[in-house]
Amino acid sequence: MTYSLIPERREGPTDPMPKSPSPLDEGGGPRRPETGSPDKDSLLKRMRRVDPKQAERYRQRTGE
Amino acid sequence: MLNRIFGLETEYGLLIHEDRPDHSPAWVAHKLRDHLFQVQRRGVIDLHHRGHDEPPGNGGFLTNGGRIYLDMGHLEYASPECHSLADIVASDRAGDLLIQQTIEDLGFADHVSLIKNNIDHETDATFGSHENYLVSRRFPFSRRGLAPLVTFLITRQIFTGAGRVGAAGPQDAWIQMDRLIVPRTAVGVRGDSTLPFQISQRSDYIVNDFFEWVQHNRAIVNTRDEPLADPNEYRRIHLLLGDSNMAEYATALKLGTTGLVLQLIEEGYAPQELEIDEPVEALQEISQDQERNWVIRLRSQRTMSAIDIQEQFLDCAVRHCQGQDEETDWVLAQWASVLRDLRGDYEKLVGRVDWASKLWLLECFREAEGVDWNDPLLKSLDLEYHNLNRAKGLYYGLVEEGRVPRLTTDALIRIAMDEAPKNTRAHGRSTLVKHLLGGGTPTHPDQQGNPDGLFPAYVINWSIFQVRGRAPFPMPDPFKTYLADVRTHLEPIIV
Repeated sequence: MTYSLIPERREGPTDPMPKSPSPLDEGGGPRRPETGSPDKDSLLKRMRRVDPKQAERYRQRTGE
Repeated sequence: MLNRIFGLETEYGLLIHEDRPDHSPAWVAHKLRDHLFQVQRRGVIDLHHRGHDEPPGNGGFLTNGGRIYLDMGHLEYASPECHSLADIVASDRAGDLLIQQTIEDLGFADHVSLIKNNIDHETDATFGSHENYLVSRRFPFSRRGLAPLVTFLITRQIFTGAGRVGAAGPQDAWIQMDRLIVPRTAVGVRGDSTLPFQISQRSDYIVNDFFEWVQHNRAIVNTRDEPLADPNEYRRIHLLLGDSNMAEYATALKLGTTGLVLQLIEEGYAPQELEIDEPVEALQEISQDQERNWVIRLRSQRTMSAIDIQEQFLDCAVRHCQGQDEETDWVLAQWASVLRDLRGDYEKLVGRVDWASKLWLLECFREAEGVDWNDPLLKSLDLEYHNLNRAKGLYYGLVEEGRVPRLTTDALIRIAMDEAPKNTRAHGRSTLVKHLLGGGTPTHPDQQGNPDGLFPAYVINWSIFQVRGRAPFPMPDPFKTYLADVRTHLEPIIV
């Protein structure tokens, strides 16, 4: 993040992407999801809580 | 990144969970805007007409230099001008959080969901995620000069798409029938409602390669010439074909790769001979390809996969841009990584590429619950992926499970809610907004306090502002902060 200690003009050095813990730092892509793991179960719980009719309630205007 | 200013405009959807006729999405959008400006005092409301569709009070500039306003019934956030991917990612997420927190402050969280997507499955309405890239006025903005950009944009959706259940036949699209231009729906042309899943939300709605309008006849490259900067120096490339991304990684890669391709075009290094035969059809064919082979026909009649095309752009970018700065090198490394993983199992992209995350979630659910693709419940799950309520949204479920690489932090996003990037003109504008908020200047259009009844207390636009009693203050260079000059300009006015 460059909210401080950043150059006034474009000629200055640009800042790198901020580093935060991520699977990418371990090399390669993110770990392959493990099907059947507890992680998947908690996501399924989240999905089961979704109102099955909510797409019908979601009445939006065309924008831009 | 080198010589680039980025901006993102996001139109949000509002999902009202209760059957309350008085609580339409537009009504909620008005409440949220008023709370943001009048109670939270996140910015200063416009006191002047900003055009035919933005009367006084419609929106305003924020303390972070960005803007929130109502557009076609949608709450829209325009990020401040950003000179780095790190800043644009944080600033984009700051907009999400500003509005989500307002929903919670108003006590609406139980019955209103803020949805960062681009489609309504039921009505086929669409709303945008618009990207802005500042380029030199010398940029070859011609059909020939833009041809590599069109090829790149059509094929980048394999890693920038947010994915959706089904397909749309846009109601506001027009087609030629004999010598008449008529709405598609008038002649019964509809999308394939039986399509299980496609990788992009917006591809169905793009009906032209080049055009200047944003609502009807949406184009791959919008040609409106509105630089919001010195027109002798700059042009603003305005793109409206992309999806709103939930993944920070996808947001950064979308803007970073597009920024590098614009640089290749500016410097004359973009790959040639990759012009696509039927660009609009190719855009939709790639998005809807259930086998995900993504093979398209070039004007040369050669066929080529979107991955191979992207790799040619990547090769050019590596040759000509590698080492110019750290963000460029990050983009090049991740671009290569994603293209490599796209050749394998899409599950490798979960957390980084939104369509892959969504498809994986939906397939998990289908397998666990025995649900068919034509079950309308899947559309509701599709929507929930984009819910910005962290306790509910499916994207945030993946974040909670540690499956999503972060490119910023929650602390930086909170800073970006109130602070502008310190190396663009947004910094000067942010200073102006904070001075106006702190100086007792009216921040409601009904309290203009203009004794002569003519000139409002202030007028703020992206590239100029004027405070009553002072000369107009132009800010034509987005790369300059104007900070010292803004302070000097305001000094006699500050109480």
